[in-house]
Amino acid sequence: MTPNGAVAFAIIMVIAAIASGAHGLVPLYVALLLFAAIEVGQASLIALRRAALIMLPLAAFMLIVWVGVVGRGPQDIAAGLAGSRASALAYVSTVAARLFLIVCLVQLVAFRFARETPLSFVRALRVPMAVKRLVVLTLSLVETLRHSVDRAHTALLAAGIITRGLSVRNLTNGWILMQTVWLTAITTVTARVRDKWPIELTVARLDPALAGGSNPLSAGDVGWLAAAAFAGLASQIASFHAA
Amino acid sequence: MRREFFAGSNFSGRSAALLALLQSAGVPAFFVGPYAEAALSGLSSSVADELAIYRGDPSQPRPPFDALPIGSMLDRKPQSLSGGEQVLLALHSFAQSPFDTIAVDTALEQLDDVNRVTALAYLGCGAFNVALIDNRVVPPGWEIRSGTSPGRPFSIDWPALTSAITPQRAQAMTVRGLGFAYPNGRQIFDGASVALKPATAHRLSGANGAGKTTLLKILVGALAPAAGEVTLAGAAYRPWREGNRALALATQNPDQQWCGATLGEDMERRRAALRLRGDTNAINDARVAEFARALGIASLDQHLYELPLAARKRVSWLWPLIGAHPWVMLDEPTIGQDNPTRESLAHLLQHMCASGHGVIFVTHDDDFAAMLPHRRLHIENCRISSL
Repeated sequence: MTPNGAVAFAIIMVIAAIASGAHGLVPLYVALLLFAAIEVGQASLIALRRAALIMLPLAAFMLIVWVGVVGRGPQDIAAGLAGSRASALAYVSTVAARLFLIVCLVQLVAFRFARETPLSFVRALRVPMAVKRLVVLTLSLVETLRHSVDRAHTALLAAGIITRGLSVRNLTNGWILMQTVWLTAITTVTARVRDKWPIELTVARLDPALAGGSNPLSAGDVGWLAAAAFAGLASQIASFHAA
Repeated sequence: MRREFFAGSNFSGRSAALLALLQSAGVPAFFVGPYAEAALSGLSSSVADELAIYRGDPSQPRPPFDALPIGSMLDRKPQSLSGGEQVLLALHSFAQSPFDTIAVDTALEQLDDVNRVTALAYLGCGAFNVALIDNRVVPPGWEIRSGTSPGRPFSIDWPALTSAITPQRAQAMTVRGLGFAYPNGRQIFDGASVALKPATAHRLSGANGAGKTTLLKILVGALAPAAGEVTLAGAAYRPWREGNRALALATQNPDQQWCGATLGEDMERRRAALRLRGDTNAINDARVAEFARALGIASLDQHLYELPLAARKRVSWLWPLIGAHPWVMLDEPTIGQDNPTRESLAHLLQHMCASGHGVIFVTHDDDFAAMLPHRRLHIENCRISSL
């Protein structure tokens, strides 16, 4: 599989997931599991775990809001119906399953190309240079934010403002961590843009580094794109019948 | 090829002169700033990508720079490297880039002795243009320039600072059987042990990436060891679980220690954390203002990030000096500081030891260390030995 094939596969799957109802997610999950088993292998378990770790807090939050507090689903509210906690639960389950599929898919694609560096993955894509540049700049911002979290975390721990484990102090001072992360990220980017980049024209160095790209699609890619298209079609049919 | 050295003290305008020179040349130049934000490209997520971004035409080779085992580091994140390793990576990147000129602003001060000699020899090889600022050496035979537009001075009132230091009673600290590895598997400590004596200065030494900063982070509770124990006055001390209550840290990069946007905000948050612990040794506003003034900062409303880098570094010493904790830890305190400041700081730390503080400092600056009587603790092969 090539990076181009993986990105195209992911785009088809994500669009199908967004457009499908609860029943339509089944064929998409089948395609996802096949992709995990064939293309990724054992690392799929890590991808599943990570996706669960990302999704569980969000699902819990939605449960509290829609099932616990509101007591009916948004579709009930839109239709002016009384609704029920059961319909709210069905709504939350569908949204959570859809998001889990998308997050898991992104994780699986990342693991599939774990041996490639981000730059070589982006280089291989058949997209305009401006898009490649945008993707690299976005990834670098993500990296800066992650590093800022680490720096701010260390600073506040050393000062005793937060603790490593769960604590009341962390609850009351969590906002200081967020503020410090933002301050760190902003000043890091500012320093880079003010001093380093104008002297080197660093961003222009990306063009030769990102030039070129692999053949758009391999035979394996075509097979996976067909599988994604078939799963998407089956998903729409299942959703239509359920409706 | 030109080799220019920008001489002068802090705030003499030498950094501005260096940048002006590069901009006036009208062609891009490779720039290694004092800290990571201005040393690495900021566009890469791995060492391999950092090198790829700067790679030039292989048919026009330049003398190689191979002070770093690049082959074993390609997967590592550039921002997770130690300060010295980042500078070495920057020099590696330059060595394979198409730039004709490199400018280095005090960055070589983060390198250990061996790497520093290697880097200076490389920069002086004559194969490309070099502009250099460094507080520790004036390379022989280089053209000397100086700053022309003095900025705002941030002079330190050393007598006031010295007289404001309050006596402390630091307690003995021991580390036994320490084990620590980063999530990427890199082992830093394996059965390391060391005894830290009160009223004594300890110098942590070791090659770039040996684990000096990691040890400081463990002692303030920012990292949890996988094995071993730390004791304070003979009792178990677990700052990674219970929080730091013994050590005041000034980080290598001052911007890695701020807890607020202004000096006043930073100090207030630190003091509030002390009060939450029931620390009755209150550091009041007047004392904070007194130390700030002595360090050249007139107002506590001063935005930390708006200060020049050398001034930020000095302000980063405020928390260790003010007496919040009996142990003070300074990570590369003399980076970017001129000779008079380094000398005065050494005397001040000596005074703190005499006043009962325990002092731990990390430095590659042998001249600075020679001015401050100390025990040398060397980190090598995951162990700490007393030299």
